Amino acid sequence: MTETLSLMAGGFVSALHYVNILAMIAGVTIGIVIGCLPGLSAAMGVALLLPMTFSMDASTGMIMLGAIYCGAIFGGSISAILIHTPGTPASAATAIEGYQMTLKGQAGKALGTACIASFFGGLLSCISLYFFAPLLGRLAMMFGSPEYFWLSIFGLTIIAGVSSKSMVKGLMSGALGLLLSTIGMDPMQGVKRFMFGQASLYEGINVTCALIGLFSMSQALILAEAKIRQRARATEFKDRMMLSKEELKEIAPTIGRSWIIGNLVGILPGAGASIACFMGYNTARQFSKHKELFGHGSYEGVAGSEAANNAVTGGSLIPMLTLGIPGESVTAVLMGGLIIQGLTPGPNLFVGETAKMTYTFFAGFVLIQFFMLGIGLLGCRGFAHIARLSDAILIPSVTILCVVGSFAIHQNFVDVVIMLIFGVIGWLARKFGLNNAAIVLALILGPIGEKGLRRSLLLSGGDPRILFSTPVCWVLIALCILGILSPILMDRMAPKEEE
Amino acid sequence: MKKTDIGVCLAMYGVCAFFLHMTLQLPKAAQIYPSCVIALLAGLTTLHVINMIRGAIREGVTSGFEDFKDFLPGQFFTILAMIIIYLVAMPYLGFYIASILFMTASLLFLRVKLWQIVLAEIAIFVLVYCAFTLFLEVHLPEGTLWEVWE
Repeated sequence: MTETLSLMAGGFVSALHYVNILAMIAGVTIGIVIGCLPGLSAAMGVALLLPMTFSMDASTGMIMLGAIYCGAIFGGSISAILIHTPGTPASAATAIEGYQMTLKGQAGKALGTACIASFFGGLLSCISLYFFAPLLGRLAMMFGSPEYFWLSIFGLTIIAGVSSKSMVKGLMSGALGLLLSTIGMDPMQGVKRFMFGQASLYEGINVTCALIGLFSMSQALILAEAKIRQRARATEFKDRMMLSKEELKEIAPTIGRSWIIGNLVGILPGAGASIACFMGYNTARQFSKHKELFGHGSYEGVAGSEAANNAVTGGSLIPMLTLGIPGESVTAVLMGGLIIQGLTPGPNLFVGETAKMTYTFFAGFVLIQFFMLGIGLLGCRGFAHIARLSDAILIPSVTILCVVGSFAIHQNFVDVVIMLIFGVIGWLARKFGLNNAAIVLALILGPIGEKGLRRSLLLSGGDPRILFSTPVCWVLIALCILGILSPILMDRMAPKEEE
Repeated sequence: MKKTDIGVCLAMYGVCAFFLHMTLQLPKAAQIYPSCVIALLAGLTTLHVINMIRGAIREGVTSGFEDFKDFLPGQFFTILAMIIIYLVAMPYLGFYIASILFMTASLLFLRVKLWQIVLAEIAIFVLVYCAFTLFLEVHLPEGTLWEVWE
């Protein structure tokens, strides 16, 4: 207990270093800009800026990526409120009430509510991050090779959850990712597998290149295929952004409920901020004393949606940091960032020197929320103009950043070619209903599962019963079944959202 | 059922066949794991084919090209061609020259106003120079053409 408290305190001291503060300010600002541009997503932004963290200290790099993540989730609400176009899917519910408020001349109040609700949602989500992450980390200490095999299978069953339309297509995308993860040196036999004569593929496909290609380059291609649309001019607003004490009191219970919803949705693999925002919005409507305002510009609705989508951020980091299972695309990209820093997500993050880095990141995550509040409140008027940036300018700009980002990994041109190939794969996958997040999850988890399986069989002399030998294995098998069943549960939630 | 899904399934079977062909060239012990993954992909694709046939009987067949209704082939393939030419030219022209040419050409093609092109280029190249050249110290390609020139 004392050790944990000292790690927490030490984390805050390290997080307050000026380099980390600068990383937070830069990350939140970049994140809000990316979030408020309707063509770009949080996962894409984090993937695009991943190479910039290469030379940073691990904790600083993770703080910057975390800041981009939180900033992008909040930033989506700016364009949702001002131009009725959600910057990210996580702000879809915010657009319903937020734009109605704008039409009533209350854009400032809507943005202020979004900013304050996002702040509290994100801040409260850090509580679960602090308490549940180390607990799960300790549990993961008990894991051996068979457990790691089942853990990766559990991660892969999440693919079913992240599949938007067809579960089978999601699983096919995962299997394709698994197949691509076999490229490189065989981990047990030392044989070159499917390397096409490229020495740079010795360690397999570089996950960062794949991430940049699948999320960022594919997005540039998606923008390039359709007619370039002129965005609506963002509404100028003159009303106050700060809420009165009474208004804050009124939205406090909504924020509390949305925090719990968002946090649970974040921890659940496969679900994400886009689901949480609708759940938060619906719950706000159910419990509101002014139900008649919903649909006509209710700031409670904005608070419910925004607190829920930001509460997802802390919750979604828990399975990624403790078990090495990214439950959705942004955490998959963040996990890529950890791997690049030479860290293996899992229980080791909570032991020894690495624990200091982890707690610095946690403390940074708390501080990010304060910067998000400040930058959000002060800069909303400026960010509103950025939301109008044309897709025509985004297409070559994103392409150049993808090229330079993938080149920077090993200063090698093969990585750029791999990035472009994955960009085209990602574009085709999105056009034909396959799932990019599933491909990435399988690329990350494939090698872990393969090593777990083959090491287990080596230990048991080829006897597969070792895979069922411990209670933890059985718990993980049960979770795998739950993971496959989770889309059915999500489907049952979906009609309520549409209402 | 969408007609485009037939293409998806054929592509998946093609990937399976390609990887199976390469797997068979590996030593026996190294063949097991990739073969299992190929079998998994082929099995899931077959399951999708069965679902497609069921869907076709139940609901009929749609073209699936509804997802492409806003697709502008001329614009898309021109941009894609520009990206490929940009990457091919980069080792010869260097990163900055190739990027300026690519950005200018694509923005002119997309009918962006000249002052916006200049502003966008200044913003991107200042960002790239500060972040990658100064901060990360990445040696971006300088271009072999200039070496020959010198």
